[in-house]
Amino acid sequence: MTAPLLEIRDLHLRAATQRGSAHILRGINLDIGAGRIVGVVGESGSGKSSLALCLLRLLPSNITELSGRMTMAGTELLGLPEAQFAAWRGGRIAMIFQDPMTALNPVFSIGTQLVDVARRRFPALDTKAARARAEAMLGRVGIADPGLRMGAYPHQLSGGMRQRVMIAMALLVQPDLLLADEPTTALDATVEAQIVGLFESLRADFSGSILFISHHLGLVAQLCDDVVVMYGGTVVETGPVGSVCADPRHPYTAALLACELEDAPAENDGSGRLMSIPGDVPDPVVTQAGCVFAPRCALAEAPCEMPQVLRRAPDGRQVACWKAVS
Amino acid sequence: MTSVLRGDTARYIASRVATTLLVIVGAMLLLFALTVLVPGDPASALLGPQATPEYARRFIAEMGLDQPIHVRFFRFFAHLSVGDFGTDVLTGRKVSGIILDVLPYTVILTFGSIGLAVVLGIPLGCLAATRPGTVLDTVLAVGSVAVIAVPGFVVAILLLLVFSIWLDWLPVLGAGRAGDLGDQAVRLILPIVALSIGWVGFIARLVRSSMLDVMGEAYIRTARAYGLPSGMVVFKYALKNACIPTLAVLGLGVGRLLGGAVLVEIVFARPGLGRLVLDAISTRNFPVLQGAVLVVVVLFVMTNLVVDLCYSAIDPRIRRGG
Amino acid sequence: MRSIFRHVAGSGTGLLGLVLVVAIVFAAVTAPWISPYDPDRLDVLHRFAGMSGAHWLGTDHLGRDLLSRLLHGASVAMAVSLLAIAVALSVGTVLGALAAYLPSGQERVILVLFDIISSFPSLVLALVVVAVFGPSTVNVILIVAVTLMPQFGRVARAQVLSVKSAPFLEAEILLGAGWARIFLRHLLPNIAGPLIVLASVEVPVVITVEAGLSFIGLGVRPPLASWGTLIYDGYSYLSDSPLPVVASCITLSLATLGFTLFGEALRDAVDPKRSSVR
Repeated sequence: MTAPLLEIRDLHLRAATQRGSAHILRGINLDIGAGRIVGVVGESGSGKSSLALCLLRLLPSNITELSGRMTMAGTELLGLPEAQFAAWRGGRIAMIFQDPMTALNPVFSIGTQLVDVARRRFPALDTKAARARAEAMLGRVGIADPGLRMGAYPHQLSGGMRQRVMIAMALLVQPDLLLADEPTTALDATVEAQIVGLFESLRADFSGSILFISHHLGLVAQLCDDVVVMYGGTVVETGPVGSVCADPRHPYTAALLACELEDAPAENDGSGRLMSIPGDVPDPVVTQAGCVFAPRCALAEAPCEMPQVLRRAPDGRQVACWKAVS
Repeated sequence: MTSVLRGDTARYIASRVATTLLVIVGAMLLLFALTVLVPGDPASALLGPQATPEYARRFIAEMGLDQPIHVRFFRFFAHLSVGDFGTDVLTGRKVSGIILDVLPYTVILTFGSIGLAVVLGIPLGCLAATRPGTVLDTVLAVGSVAVIAVPGFVVAILLLLVFSIWLDWLPVLGAGRAGDLGDQAVRLILPIVALSIGWVGFIARLVRSSMLDVMGEAYIRTARAYGLPSGMVVFKYALKNACIPTLAVLGLGVGRLLGGAVLVEIVFARPGLGRLVLDAISTRNFPVLQGAVLVVVVLFVMTNLVVDLCYSAIDPRIRRGG
Repeated sequence: MRSIFRHVAGSGTGLLGLVLVVAIVFAAVTAPWISPYDPDRLDVLHRFAGMSGAHWLGTDHLGRDLLSRLLHGASVAMAVSLLAIAVALSVGTVLGALAAYLPSGQERVILVLFDIISSFPSLVLALVVVAVFGPSTVNVILIVAVTLMPQFGRVARAQVLSVKSAPFLEAEILLGAGWARIFLRHLLPNIAGPLIVLASVEVPVVITVEAGLSFIGLGVRPPLASWGTLIYDGYSYLSDSPLPVVASCITLSLATLGFTLFGEALRDAVDPKRSSVR
């Protein structure tokens, strides 16, 4: 196996809230291989979106701690001064946001927004060349008549079209790492299928890695090479998507999988709430000594009171549960 | 797509122009109604009790006041719509000429004030919005409320007292010698400051709060996520959105400023529509009063029309709603 | 109610506004008793007296006691504001509520009427009316009420539209409740909040218009002491003594500032979303 594109080690994120200090990410470890599509799954509040924002260092002002290591292609990202890191945003890392309705500026045409992004990334381009590229990219993501759409304003496009524009914007900067934060959650089911189809088709000509965040394990199984299961601000299990789905080793992964089998994907309401796991996601304000999932785990025993760390099994999969390893 | 867009815009402009015309006609109607409503017999109301009976009779015939009301009504509209405001009762001069003589003074004062308010207010608002909670922000917030609350003519008097009388830095009264642009400009300083200072505060505050709202929007996060330079994010992507509420109040602002200009012109003894209206009232010179008021109303609604059209140019969503 | 009071008094600016408002209302109500002199008593021997124990704020060009005149000016300002806003509020609310219920053609007529009134800069409209009917306090009150009316009308219409289709109202109508009952028992309590806030925000506007009109001699008539006429008197004799004009200007400014701060604090307390001052 070649060296991964991105290595995250012991990433912690804390924020000051009205109820106290919230520990949002509690020591994340994960690798993203070059050219791989990695799915991140977990319930709302598990820290998936915060992880993506950490990668862009685009965090709200109430953050009190961001520590650990994020190494991408030999560069330690957390240590970079802001002025140097700025080039990575919309450069080697690009992001697609959850809600395409609000992610585009309502008072500029999409052409203007795409051209600004393209010219920031490739300063050598003149406006005309940047427009040509943007137009070609709109065609690539399946927007009919891209020349005309360049002049359209976001409110003139449907939700699915806007998300295609966001994907075009991300591809336009030719990133090494594409972060997709629940890109289909805000869309209805048929449009969701089209956008997933678009991501599948990207394999043909996009050479970078994709971090695909979703609360929907079925979608990740369909689209991704590897899966990272997050719970309560930690990674509880990672591995190739096929083997994890066939043989989940963490009780939480097994529970998620069970929910997926119960709800047919078409009926998933997109709320992200998996009603069939009893209990709530852990409160980030409360510190927990043992396994984060123990309070909701049907198999919890005395050793679960001890902290659980991600351990690598001989087949390369990693699980944060003592039962899985022994 | 583009043709649909143009159709929307054309329909929007047409509906705005129609409303504007309707409002102008309504204003004419109101002005006409007021002349009919003048208590007592029109000639003595217009000329005062001292007028001799023969003069009053001649005057009534000249003004067409002896005609039935519908004839007067049509005559009034026919004359106004071709820009004929009638003749000054006292001097016999054409009212349109009298108004055109003083109009530039009021226009420069009003639009100079709006311009100053925008030019100072928007950067101050941005400045406060980029440093929320700092001492600078608090000082700007308190200062804004203070200048908004104090009436413009009070500011005018206090400025006059401090800068012209106590410090003797700036000339006191009048619009300056004809043809001497430097002198006229210097004499515009205090009136413009007095008239605009409240609006500087108002716009600064409005821009600050809408800027803070906009900076929290998802599309600003997108712009940052794609590494656009922060100057571009603030002054292109955020400011255009933050200006929308500001533009919306500018139309209203022109109306208040035109009203305020009347008082400021009187405090500084400047010629202008304010002085003209006030003199017309005290001499009961109705044709001049009607003409001057109609010009003020037309100025106001036309500015509002322009503001609304700018608004639709900045915010493409408006065009659809109509 | 209590929490609104606490919110208003809780912010520094709100508290300052509240204190000024209370002081002005107190002065307005008690002016006849707390004034050291009759505000119209002439004393030409002591014209333009400076500040002293006998005349705290000095005297004007006719030797009248300035403090007494300013206190009585508060009564005039408050009476004009109260009456003008009361008229605008009631007429505007009725027209606005009517507009919300009328078919769109007739609704349009009311809305265009609002637009036409708003298309006159309010001071200019006041000038026209005063020119025709002559200056008087009643005319000032009526004209200010007319210019403010569209604002109340628009707010009332928007509020009524938002509660009009509420299930409880439709149920009442089905049960055959009369219009008076629906308006007084159900609509009014539901739309009152924003209207009261608007009324308090408009107080400084009315004070300013009244003072402005009186300043140019088209408002409150002498000998009634309005802040506007006091400023005009002081301004006319600026070269003799700046004290009257400065004292009157400061009084007027404190009043408009106090009501502005109070009105904004009240608005923020009732509707935190629209907060414009922190």
